[in-house]
Amino acid sequence: MNFSLNEMEATAKRATRGAGYSWGQAEEASKAARWLCAQGLDGAGILSSLLERGLASDPATHRPGQIDRLWQGEEALCPLSAGPLLSDAAHLLKTSPIEMRNVAVPALMLPFARHAASILNEALTIEIDTVQSVVGEDWLMAPDSLPKTAHTVVVSRGGAPTATREQETRAYPDPQDWDMLNRYAHRTYAPATEESRLLGAGSGLSDND
Amino acid sequence: MDAQTQTQIERRDPATVMRLSRLGSLHQCRLSFMRQLTRRMARENWSFTRPVFDIDANGVGRAVYTSQGPDRTYSLVAFAHDLPPEQRSDRVIAEAWDATFALFDGIPTEADIDRLSRNVPLQEAGRVSESELSLSRANRSVRLWDHVVKSLAAGQQPDVEQIYQVGYLMRTTAVYGSGKFGAADREKVADRPETQAPFQVEMLSVFLTRAFVRDLVQHMANVQGGDQAATLDPEISRWLGIGNSTGLGMAPFIVNHPVLFNNWIMVREEAIARVRSVDVASDAEIARFRDVFERSRLSVSWWRSEHPIQVKKLEALKADLLLISEYLRQDNLTADRPWNRLVDWSETALSEEGQELLASLILEPYGDLVDGLASCMADTRSQAFVIDGTMSIGTVRDLIRETYAWALDLDWDVRENCARAWYVSEEKLEPRMGERFDEPISDYEQPLAPARDAAAAYDALGGWEDTKPVAEFLLRHPEHRHTIRRVQMTPSAPYGEIRDNTIGSKVLPIDMLRAKLSFFGATHFDPRSDRWVRICMYSGAPYPEELTSENADLWVYPQEPT
Repeated sequence: MNFSLNEMEATAKRATRGAGYSWGQAEEASKAARWLCAQGLDGAGILSSLLERGLASDPATHRPGQIDRLWQGEEALCPLSAGPLLSDAAHLLKTSPIEMRNVAVPALMLPFARHAASILNEALTIEIDTVQSVVGEDWLMAPDSLPKTAHTVVVSRGGAPTATREQETRAYPDPQDWDMLNRYAHRTYAPATEESRLLGAGSGLSDND
Repeated sequence: MDAQTQTQIERRDPATVMRLSRLGSLHQCRLSFMRQLTRRMARENWSFTRPVFDIDANGVGRAVYTSQGPDRTYSLVAFAHDLPPEQRSDRVIAEAWDATFALFDGIPTEADIDRLSRNVPLQEAGRVSESELSLSRANRSVRLWDHVVKSLAAGQQPDVEQIYQVGYLMRTTAVYGSGKFGAADREKVADRPETQAPFQVEMLSVFLTRAFVRDLVQHMANVQGGDQAATLDPEISRWLGIGNSTGLGMAPFIVNHPVLFNNWIMVREEAIARVRSVDVASDAEIARFRDVFERSRLSVSWWRSEHPIQVKKLEALKADLLLISEYLRQDNLTADRPWNRLVDWSETALSEEGQELLASLILEPYGDLVDGLASCMADTRSQAFVIDGTMSIGTVRDLIRETYAWALDLDWDVRENCARAWYVSEEKLEPRMGERFDEPISDYEQPLAPARDAAAAYDALGGWEDTKPVAEFLLRHPEHRHTIRRVQMTPSAPYGEIRDNTIGSKVLPIDMLRAKLSFFGATHFDPRSDRWVRICMYSGAPYPEELTSENADLWVYPQEPT
């Protein structure tokens, strides 16, 4: 089954929130998953593999300790922490490349590198261990699949794509990944109760008039 | 929208405009999405056909209505059902409807219609495809439907008084666009001239739905009355609009789309400022204004609501109309910036209902100053989402103070200031609002209290140096990312933020619903509770086959049939 990119985004937002991330990170994860799908990558699979790792339960250990040196956490870096930081601190790339260690689901760094490319108005090269991707504001050169974790990720200015990915207008998630995202999303829904049904919405009047 | 150069009178202050009580008093204007659509279709000479109308004697079947513009065709695929009365609910939690619809991008084949017939009647439980632009459903106004069918079947025309007072034969209970349930994303149509403006797909779907409903009621009367059935008089059917029944889904929409909502409000404010800046009005402009004012009085006289809040507001509006009449008797409106004088006076003399009605009406003579602004109402700046991490914490603090000063003074721990919480129920994902301290809902709260969150972010910024970039703060405090994003939008989207408490014990969600619906062009707001409202769309409008440049615009202002 295929889904609209809007469905992908809405589900990803709820799922990320359901997995314990902040609303702001959920917003960013949802745009990221949508963009990955638009690039023909497996946005749903990539996001669900991150949510499964449960990093949101202890965010402080999964974010860079400092901005101006090597980005490293006490534990694996969460791309929903390091990714937004890459976009927020894109200007640092003007001085030198940004290097990160022990990054979980590094494919999720790509959408944020794209924001950084847009801010700097130039292409960026992202090296995930030995795999190289290049991203611009509206294009991406990357292989179909990327490692589940990276020992090192290096983001630097410049890079010329040899072939950019074709754009997709739909998302084609693996049903298992889609189900998993929906299971996380479900955690954001309040249980159905009679009281909620009666008082939470509607008019309390008959519509059969 | 950089048009301040033409304007001497400034736009009204967001701190005034964006209060909930004022947003809950907005009226349609010539920028509304329905009127943009009908003007365009007339200007471009769209043509309309009904290639399929296959409905049986029980009122069950399918129909297709096509609308052809200069470059593309859009088709409403309609399914009529025989709904048991006990299942007739306008809530999201309903599972069956009197009629269901999809707007197809192009002309559907038999196979498309068959595919849709297996999905569209199920609504949320079905799937549509990238070929469909919207998915919707409607329920009958049982009272008026029965009256019209019976009258026509007996060879008589229906009673116009009943039609004026109800306003529609069916009301839509959701019109889903933008990729919902598998439909095409907004991006598919966002660059087309006819769908660049917001909600044009949805407005077209409803415009065609109205024609289908008229044809269906005639069909049912013909079935019942046989040879003696009368044909509905076009002068009467014109007053049949399409209703809409709306719950809390629209409130999150305007909070979650601050740039889009800003564009709607800012465009209207810019239009008001331009007209207020007109030095001298011509006789024709004055005549147009006086005409639409008189016609508005007729429209207001048909406006019914039993909800105590709206009853009071209608009383005030009716008193306002008398005061405006009196003003217009004494002022010939010709010179000294007549519209500015009128607006200045309204702020001292009228309720917010009356003030906003006047602010909309003064735009009517000035299509040349106003209509071009419509192209600025969509949100095309997706980059506004990206946070500027280099912004200094001092600047962020200043921005928060500018937009949310009132919220910083509020004690958000006091019960009445945070009594409510917005949430999504697992029951068909219906958006709801509840009592935070009485119901187990706060764990599921949606981020729909930007002012409270801004106050919290402001507090958290307390110990941080002004000169530090906000990126450092956000690294340690991801819980404030959504707030900092909004705060950074406020300089370019000053009308994007509601300047009131959206979770206080006294919040009226219907104010948020009305603000959105007024931009659709809705009339006759009829709250059924503090979180539920019925409205009327397209009442007075020409039907597709009647549409001309002469009747495409001012149809929203009724003229009593002679």
